[in-house]
Amino acid sequence: MKFTKNGKFTIWNVTTLIILVIFLLFIAFPLFLVLKKSMINPTTGGITFEYLGKFFERKYYWITILNSFKVTVVTTFLSVVLGLPLAYMMRKIKIKGSKLIEVLVIISYISPPFIGAYAWIQVLGHSGVVTKFLNNTFGTNFEGIYGFSGIVLVLTLQSFPLIYIYIAGALKNLDNSLNEAAESLGYSSFQRIYKIIIPLIIPTMLASALLVFMRVIADFGTPMLIGEGYRTIPVLIYTQFMSEVGGNEGFAAALCVVFIVVTLVLFLFQRIVANHFSYSMSALKPMKVEKSTGIKNILAHGFVYIIVFLAILPQLVVTFTSFLETKGGQVYTGNFSLENYRNIFLAKDTAVIWNTYKMGLMAIVIIVVLGVLISYLTVRKKNIITSILDTVSMFPFIIPGSVLGISFIFAFSDKPIVLSGTVFIMIMSFAIRRMPYTIRSSTAIISQISPSIEEAAISLGASETKAFRRVLVPMMMPGVMAGAIMSWITVISELSSSIILYTSNTQTLTVSIYTEVIRGNYGNASAYSAILTVTSILSLMLFFKLTGKREVSV
Amino acid sequence: MNLSVSIQVENVIKKFGETMVIDGLSMDIHPGELFTLLGPSGCGKTTLLRMVIGFNSIDGGSIKVNDKVINNIPVSKRKMGMVFQNYAIFPHMTVKQNIAFGLENKKYSKGEMERRIDEILNIVQIEDFKDRMPDQLSGGQQQRVALARAIVIHPEVLLMDEPLSNLDAKLRIEMRNAIKSIQQQVGITTIYVTHDQEEALAISDRIAVMNAGVIQQIGSPKEIYQRPVNIFVSKFIGTSNILKAKLVEVNNEVQMELNDGYREKVENLSKRAKVGDTVLVSVRPHEFIITEEKDGIKGKVLNSMFLGINTHYFIDLGLDEQVEVIQNADIVDLITPGETVHLKVKPDKINIFDIEEEKTLIEVSEAHEVH
Repeated sequence: MKFTKNGKFTIWNVTTLIILVIFLLFIAFPLFLVLKKSMINPTTGGITFEYLGKFFERKYYWITILNSFKVTVVTTFLSVVLGLPLAYMMRKIKIKGSKLIEVLVIISYISPPFIGAYAWIQVLGHSGVVTKFLNNTFGTNFEGIYGFSGIVLVLTLQSFPLIYIYIAGALKNLDNSLNEAAESLGYSSFQRIYKIIIPLIIPTMLASALLVFMRVIADFGTPMLIGEGYRTIPVLIYTQFMSEVGGNEGFAAALCVVFIVVTLVLFLFQRIVANHFSYSMSALKPMKVEKSTGIKNILAHGFVYIIVFLAILPQLVVTFTSFLETKGGQVYTGNFSLENYRNIFLAKDTAVIWNTYKMGLMAIVIIVVLGVLISYLTVRKKNIITSILDTVSMFPFIIPGSVLGISFIFAFSDKPIVLSGTVFIMIMSFAIRRMPYTIRSSTAIISQISPSIEEAAISLGASETKAFRRVLVPMMMPGVMAGAIMSWITVISELSSSIILYTSNTQTLTVSIYTEVIRGNYGNASAYSAILTVTSILSLMLFFKLTGKREVSV
Repeated sequence: MNLSVSIQVENVIKKFGETMVIDGLSMDIHPGELFTLLGPSGCGKTTLLRMVIGFNSIDGGSIKVNDKVINNIPVSKRKMGMVFQNYAIFPHMTVKQNIAFGLENKKYSKGEMERRIDEILNIVQIEDFKDRMPDQLSGGQQQRVALARAIVIHPEVLLMDEPLSNLDAKLRIEMRNAIKSIQQQVGITTIYVTHDQEEALAISDRIAVMNAGVIQQIGSPKEIYQRPVNIFVSKFIGTSNILKAKLVEVNNEVQMELNDGYREKVENLSKRAKVGDTVLVSVRPHEFIITEEKDGIKGKVLNSMFLGINTHYFIDLGLDEQVEVIQNADIVDLITPGETVHLKVKPDKINIFDIEEEKTLIEVSEAHEVH
């Protein structure tokens, strides 16, 4: 054991090793296989650039990168355009019902984007309510919102809440005396916004914009449902992999490599930018919310209400349509009924619901245990191995869900380790995908706790492990549990890796929603969506109760 | 040549919701002086300061600068510089950019701007840090930047809101000396807010002592320390021992009778004082004399604290009355706890207040007044 200073075999060293093995097995090994399959000819065993070349040769393939970038850049830009003024108005102007609005924004943020896609199809699709209304009233031939504009609409409305949450948090840390200082130096309120406020929230804006960028570029469900031929990289990866499993794994792997390179570059770019601008701010006196009057007040209220209504519309639509009667599952008759719920609860196996809860919970247990241990090791037991752990644990941040799914199939379909089709592989994919977020938040929690607390316990006769179990872990728990609930909400909404890894035994709610929509069973899809939405909202309420705040950290 | 402005605050009113915070307050601030608003937290001093600069609206009365009402002039047009409690240095700008910020939206030539910035950097002595970011500065340096940024625009009035409260004790003394000398050098009319009476005494030309939104007394540091107008001021500024006494007439002169029948002649009593009244006597710790004579107030020494330059004694006078007494260390040997001593007061130094309103009964004669 070279990495221990005194060569002793402590429980922490063993733990470090076990976690390292888990990470090697579930992160490094699958990724290595992706890289290998993308560059090794399976028959000759030699290095080949055939697959990567194929991607860049045909426009049919490389256009997907361009498409992904177009969608992502436009969506990110529009999310900032909506999220920034929303955050500013909510912090500066007294908006009626602002507490409810904040909760609604968070709800729209935590629900999976493809539900938004599905709901917007019902509103603005070929036979959407609004589409029909417009065409009937004005005699137009509006085809509905699909393709590029549809994807951008759905993803923007799903992403601006994240920008809002971040910027609202930054504005809270912005001391109002900075504003007042500028005012006393002769600057008007408009000048103050772009001279003081905007420059100070730029780091936060960039950080949140990058998160949006990463989420949007990796999103699979939305372009799949509403894209109608507008193909992005995740869609291409999925279709190539699903249609050519066994046939051309190499090409799918090459696509994954291209995709990872793109996200990696973005990630590094954000790191550089974030290091370049960062200001430590702490507000003695935060900005005050003030009553506004006249046209300014009306415009602010109008803007906030309309934006938030559009953001929450998908949840309203799916909940509403889940209670509508359908003819053959597809066409709404206009009557209310519980038929859809009867279908999914009685006519069908309810396993998908229990699967989701069961696998989600087990994933959370793994996430919490690993998260707490890893953050403890990296903060309190710094050495080379734990630093490697820390770095490897950040990998999943840049691995899109579909790539992770494919890499798991590569790694665990054949001997020596056969896991595909099992509950365990689903759970591990959830846990690994969420790992970087959990570790980051647990690390933040541990860093807040002074080491002298553990030293006090040890001076009173406790062993190091006892100090960890009895003092540190209980102190971390409130924060960790809050983080666990947020992880739970993201895990149960996960689609892009589940859609690749699931079998009939491990089907989840999100997969069911997706497949029902593809089959045209809108009624069932709505009922499933409603169950997922209600679960998420209840979990969110529990989170609020636990933290005592109406805020989420993402 | 004196271009400094005067400020007239006339019957101003401030309400927060239904709560009246300041109800008809008036004061005059003279050109070029450093005027301090002193009072406990929540007394309305910061509220008043923010009314002067315009962050708080004026709900009644008026504030004038050189007899011109400024009630409705927006903050950005009031030509007032402010130094904030937490400095409010812009974290995204260098020291120089912070200082230049207020000049940028006025039409100065580049040369003029540079000249002004260099001048102020020199005055506040931060030339060496001008290219640093604020997070690379110490608290004292940030304070100097905040001061430079406020005065570089040549405001008519400088406002300082508890500017030293975030500094440690030693730096606080250093910075208050710096502020005082910079203020004198620039000669700008300044309103300074603090809850620290020692800081106020050290720095101010005049002090307004405030409590519960009302000005208790305005005067020079010496006036308010030596001749407080009421018990509140007497206790808030420095340490005061409050004793009960009775006014008696002996041999055609008015005397006060303290504990143990100890009597002392009092002069310059106002006409409000009547023989036979019970009054409150405020005695500063160094206005007591520990004496061998047996006709003083009898007390038992509880504790002593030797501080080098002097010694503090805590003396029990019986009946739950305790006083703090300061004696120069070189005068007498240390008195051990438990010993009985006799105390006399310096009659020309002490202050006497009526018991109902706790207002002074001393007539300040021309000879006592300090200019």
